[in-house]
Amino acid sequence: MQYWNPYLETLPRESLTQIELSYFRQMLSYAKDHSRLYQDKLRGINPDDIKTLNDIGKIPLTDKEELRLYQAMDPFPYGGTLGTDIASVTCFRQTSGTTGIPVYVPETYESWQWRTEVWCHILYMAGFRPRHRVFLPFGYNVYVAFWEAHFASEKLGCELVPGGALDTKGRIHKILEIRANGMMNTPTYGLHLAQEAKNLGIDPASLGIERMLCAGEPMPQATRKRLEELFQCHVFDHIGGTEPCAWAGMCEAKDGLHLIEPFFLVEILDPENLREEVAEGEMGIVVVTPLGRRSFPLIRFNTKDLVIKGKDCCSCGRSSLKIKEVLGRTDDLRKIRGVLFSPMTVEEALRQEFPEVVEYEIVVKRIGIMDEIILKAELSPKLGNDEALQTKARLMERLKVKTNLSFHVQLEPPESLPRYMLKAKRFKDLREG
Amino acid sequence: MHEQIRREIEKISESAHKLRTLAQDNPAILKNAEIIATFAGILKFITPITHKEEN
Repeated sequence: MQYWNPYLETLPRESLTQIELSYFRQMLSYAKDHSRLYQDKLRGINPDDIKTLNDIGKIPLTDKEELRLYQAMDPFPYGGTLGTDIASVTCFRQTSGTTGIPVYVPETYESWQWRTEVWCHILYMAGFRPRHRVFLPFGYNVYVAFWEAHFASEKLGCELVPGGALDTKGRIHKILEIRANGMMNTPTYGLHLAQEAKNLGIDPASLGIERMLCAGEPMPQATRKRLEELFQCHVFDHIGGTEPCAWAGMCEAKDGLHLIEPFFLVEILDPENLREEVAEGEMGIVVVTPLGRRSFPLIRFNTKDLVIKGKDCCSCGRSSLKIKEVLGRTDDLRKIRGVLFSPMTVEEALRQEFPEVVEYEIVVKRIGIMDEIILKAELSPKLGNDEALQTKARLMERLKVKTNLSFHVQLEPPESLPRYMLKAKRFKDLREG
Repeated sequence: MHEQIRREIEKISESAHKLRTLAQDNPAILKNAEIIATFAGILKFITPITHKEEN
């Protein structure tokens, strides 16, 4: 079977839109009745007035700051964001707190099963099947990362191997020992595990991984292809967040990401005014409404994810709308010397053209009135001095072309830069605060 | 086919509800009935009726 849910995944667009509108109205009513946040935000709004997609613009957007504000109320710790009786909450999750105070997210058994169902779509679309023995190289925590992957793998019938308590060497040996053929990890950790395997004299391709699903960080095509080369396997991406859940995933065509419809109403809005839906091929900011999760109602949540809108058709036959490309987060966009800069451009250039760069960090500083951008690069220890200097010169040249900014490139000793298991923090803007 | 599937889902949902009413003094039966109701809810969510079918 090609699809997890052939009925939903091949519905005509017109039907999907109608179902999403109907679910949206239901969620609006529910949120108004059960969430303090939306009792306030939706005052004066009648769900029955939402008749077309254009009417959705009448509903105000929700941002993370509002969630933080309302969670400070009673009942602790979810406050006015809670959409259910607190006694029915069965699991606590939280955001990473990268952009401020963490947001606490309540899940009930029901809402968690709904999230798990969403993830089944993502995994099945990426070719995960009961024959896969899936290795999860993560210790689960208060964050949502990989809990959904765990539960959805089980539901799908995969054999799950939780490898969190092992170190990277231990994980490599365990993958070999038990012949795991699936893995889920951040792109950063995939690259790190491949490097560690090489350090042990093991070709990452010989680990036997057939399918890898990446999460936690934006992954440019160059990084995805680099992982495919290293592990000689199929690598898939998806996108989501703790608050709204994962809302898009990659199919076997590996050409963009499919929205998981009709679980979510996804809008891709003009970054200038956050009002109009952008056209196919244009850049926009993603606004998401999960349509069946009641423990933590979210209406028109501004994810701050910056994407290129894709088509509503695919060679896989699914009818869901696609994201052509994930560009990163608006939080990461910076003006440096008057030039708009996204760290994703550097990630893409390094993974595509500089396999000898093992790890890196980008630092922006202000010296006097001038902004300075520095690339700290850790190169493969196999490189000689002359080769390292050549790489440094080439890095300066290529980054100038790619970003229109002159980088200072600093070569760092092996193993000196931090390694990341979950969200990598390779971009540091020291001009702030 | 979907109409038949929806009818079966409705039956499961109703049975789970009845079980919950009958098992108020038995936490084990009550919890398992609640779990069945949860999955009946998900089944309903993933088999929505389209406009075409309504007409």
